[in-house]
Amino acid sequence: MSTLALRIRERAERTPGAVAMREKNFGIWEQVTWQDYWQNAVLVGHGLLALGVQPGDRVAVHSENRREWLFSDIGITAVRAVTVGLYPTNPAPEVRHVLSDSGSSVLIAEDQEQVDKTLEIVNELPDLKHIVYIDPRGIRGRYTDPRLMSWEEFLALGEEHRAQHPGAVEERAEQAELTDVATLVYTSGTTGPPKGAMLTISNIEFVIDTLANQGAFVDPPASDKDLIVSYLPLCHVAERVFTTWFNAAVGSQVNFAESIETVQVALREVQPTIVFGVPRIWEKIAAGVHIRMSGASRLKRANFALWMRVSRWIGRKLVENEGNHTLATRLAYAAGWVFLYRPLRERLGLAKARYAASGAAPIAPEVLEFFMGIGLSMHEVYGMTENSAIATANVAGRIKVGTVGEPQQGAEVRIDEETGEILTRHPGTFAGYWNNPDATARTIDPDGWLHTGDVGEWVDGTHIKITDRIKDIIITAGGKNIAPSEIENSLKSSPYIKEAIVVGDRRRYLTALIGIELDTVGDWAQRRKIAFTTYRDLTEKPEVRELVQQIVDETNTKFASVETIKRFTLLPKELDHEQGELTATQKVKRSAITEQFAAQIAAMYDEAPQEVPA
Amino acid sequence: MTSMLTPRRAPRPPRGRPQLRTSYAQDMGLLNTPAKRRSTALVILAAFTVPFLVTDDLLLIFTLGLIASVGAIGLNLVTGYAGQVSLGHAFFLGLGAYTGAVLGGDPEGSVTGYGLPMWIWLPAAGVVAAIAGLIVGPVAVRLRGLYLAIVTLGLVFLGEHIFREARTLTGGPGVGRRGPDLELFGIDFAEAGSLFGLGLSRDQQQYLLALVFLIVFAILGRNIARSGVGRAFSAVRDRDVAAAVIGVNLTVYKVMAFAMSSFFAGVTGALYYAVVGVFEPGAFGLLLSIQYLAMVLIGGVATISGSIMGALFITSLPRIAQEIAHLFPIISTSTVGGGLINVFQFEAILYGLLIIGFLIFEPRGLFGIWMRIRNYWKGWPFSY
Repeated sequence: MSTLALRIRERAERTPGAVAMREKNFGIWEQVTWQDYWQNAVLVGHGLLALGVQPGDRVAVHSENRREWLFSDIGITAVRAVTVGLYPTNPAPEVRHVLSDSGSSVLIAEDQEQVDKTLEIVNELPDLKHIVYIDPRGIRGRYTDPRLMSWEEFLALGEEHRAQHPGAVEERAEQAELTDVATLVYTSGTTGPPKGAMLTISNIEFVIDTLANQGAFVDPPASDKDLIVSYLPLCHVAERVFTTWFNAAVGSQVNFAESIETVQVALREVQPTIVFGVPRIWEKIAAGVHIRMSGASRLKRANFALWMRVSRWIGRKLVENEGNHTLATRLAYAAGWVFLYRPLRERLGLAKARYAASGAAPIAPEVLEFFMGIGLSMHEVYGMTENSAIATANVAGRIKVGTVGEPQQGAEVRIDEETGEILTRHPGTFAGYWNNPDATARTIDPDGWLHTGDVGEWVDGTHIKITDRIKDIIITAGGKNIAPSEIENSLKSSPYIKEAIVVGDRRRYLTALIGIELDTVGDWAQRRKIAFTTYRDLTEKPEVRELVQQIVDETNTKFASVETIKRFTLLPKELDHEQGELTATQKVKRSAITEQFAAQIAAMYDEAPQEVPA
Repeated sequence: MTSMLTPRRAPRPPRGRPQLRTSYAQDMGLLNTPAKRRSTALVILAAFTVPFLVTDDLLLIFTLGLIASVGAIGLNLVTGYAGQVSLGHAFFLGLGAYTGAVLGGDPEGSVTGYGLPMWIWLPAAGVVAAIAGLIVGPVAVRLRGLYLAIVTLGLVFLGEHIFREARTLTGGPGVGRRGPDLELFGIDFAEAGSLFGLGLSRDQQQYLLALVFLIVFAILGRNIARSGVGRAFSAVRDRDVAAAVIGVNLTVYKVMAFAMSSFFAGVTGALYYAVVGVFEPGAFGLLLSIQYLAMVLIGGVATISGSIMGALFITSLPRIAQEIAHLFPIISTSTVGGGLINVFQFEAILYGLLIIGFLIFEPRGLFGIWMRIRNYWKGWPFSY
């Protein structure tokens, strides 16, 4: 039997000098070898033992992606404790919820910002005994809370403990059992407070086996030659798969950017071979290309327009052929490669990407087609925290755009005949929600089937197409079932639209709240000499309304008449996580939005505005 | 700031990712991308094949251009990088030329000569000029801009006078003297001969000598420019007070800039006039200083490759002027005879026009044009 920690130790013994990860600091990619990785993880483990962490205790990590995240994660699992990840964007109330719900005894926080969030509510957290901070700026010499301890002090404590009890961490790591909970992954919570999903060692081992031996996602399977840029929150299960678990399973090299703002630069420098992104990232990259293109010289614009036309044609052909090239598309691609696709992919950091995937939320087919057209091997995949991110995936050569692919090897997937809900069953199914047996019982049925909460259907008997979240399905006053996400994604495929929320449950017709993309619309307005000051000001321009109206009209032509948007309102502000409008994963919290903009929604249905409680 | 990383030889960075730098040494590398390595190799290869493709009279122009490039790099160090305007470059060139000629000249001739070998007179020419630079340097510490320009201008007149009067060394005005003998490692570059089994003419040999000379000094110049010394120079240029505040010793670096620049000028002077043959004191007038400034301005301020482009262009300008003169009958090709202006006047006008034109339209010189072309393709398919 093996665990994450033991796998890292094995690599440290087999290839001690090979690179496990890199982090960019002051312009230089500092390399961490497997030996360094394991040594640091062992020190973290000893430090935790010195702080009295027992098997099954929860240790929280609240940080951006960086080396210390992985050192901590492996160190925590090595001493059979449970890693609890927090989103760096979590505001204090959510931090309180996660820390108190999990009952974490130790918190590893990145910097002053994260430490402050916890200190604000530390009196409500009786279980929290120690806070380790990684970056001492602003904390050292100013904060006097006795629970605080710097990363260096923590490691020094670990060294001391190691001197007294040599081998204690490894001994503990070898006692690990398959049923040990390795990590609590808190769901993003679009509907209620986040719930902690317990993933056990056997869950993770199932994922690792699928990655390493079954060629899940990447084909041919990933290896230690593969490079990954880690930038999505590590507390999310998808990034954990692509960063930590891929790394432990096959030794792929993880690269951390200097900060979240420099990810684009990092991508260009690292030119990763495996890229995972959420739809928002892919949409933003595609929109960025269009903005920068509109500022390019005439010749370059003409070049772009020409080869994008060709690429759309190639994209369409690829979509028809499940991602396979024909001779004609190969020739067209070869010509375009010289003039546009190679330099474009190079600039985007995707030149060496042999596998790109989008998951965690639905993506518009147009965006996938854009990337497939420029020659990226692009795949939509599907999974969720509760099934350790293993459910379905498109496989190279058998891609159906608009579907989330075929069931992964070793995973059973079926669709409930009555409700249309997608059910999965495999050894990766989570052990239940932490401290929440009711919710667990609602999610896993007695036969071991996991109820995903997503409604879907089979396409050609092999691929699954997801219609929507079961709770989001709109039933109009006319009794028609409508999946809003399809309409929303179609709207969002325009570079000018960032958010779209379709409303219409128990109403006569559909309406939408639309949030514009400040970058692109701002650029568009500037080009038309439309002066604006703020985001809100921009949304009130009649020209902008017209622009959005055009996009809405275009979208309406793609849908049946009951599914068309009759009216829309532009959101006067950008939605964000702090205000509770988005989840940490940037998903819209529908209930919060419809409540906040109740007046605007009522106006779209010509109803008297209800009293909005202040 | 992190944890304990055991120091040991860093693992190799992954292949095919030139921008992924895992050490500062790699970041600062002279040729830090494969594209640079390839294009540099290509340019050097092309430069070595030139003598086999071009006639000997053109080749001589290129040879002189290559040698002048080293002088231009020297002037660029002090004026371009360190920002100290120097009109006195002709003086240092002359000093080098006469040091070389005296040390390496014919002992039996009418003027002084010691007949020393090239590996002595060439470095000695640089050292003597550098010492003169060391003496002038402190003046630059006290003066700035226009005032410094005037002082260095004085240097040229001073030098011209000394060269004219020291007849036993220089042969005096109108007479002149021969340069030193070009003989290195037993190869006589003044005669046709065979090199590496190839039968080469005199001009071909000299061209290759000049090319190797330039490569050595261009790398030296580039290394000065990109190292701590070069950074200090730039800091002094951009704002000397600010540079002093961040710890750049103004006296040391200004003197250093003059000394280095003079060394480059000294070796250039010695080699240039060894190739030319006979030269007289009148050559080291203000016009020579202006020519070198033109090389720097037209080539590109504070660039090594720009200096080379500028020097090659300026040294071939007389030839270009002549070719143009052949096309227009109003320009006479000799000092006597018809035509509105003669070719020498036309050449002077061209200098003026080029300097004005470049300063107004292309302040970064030929190098700036090259940069624009490069960036256009580098940015492809975007514009920024």
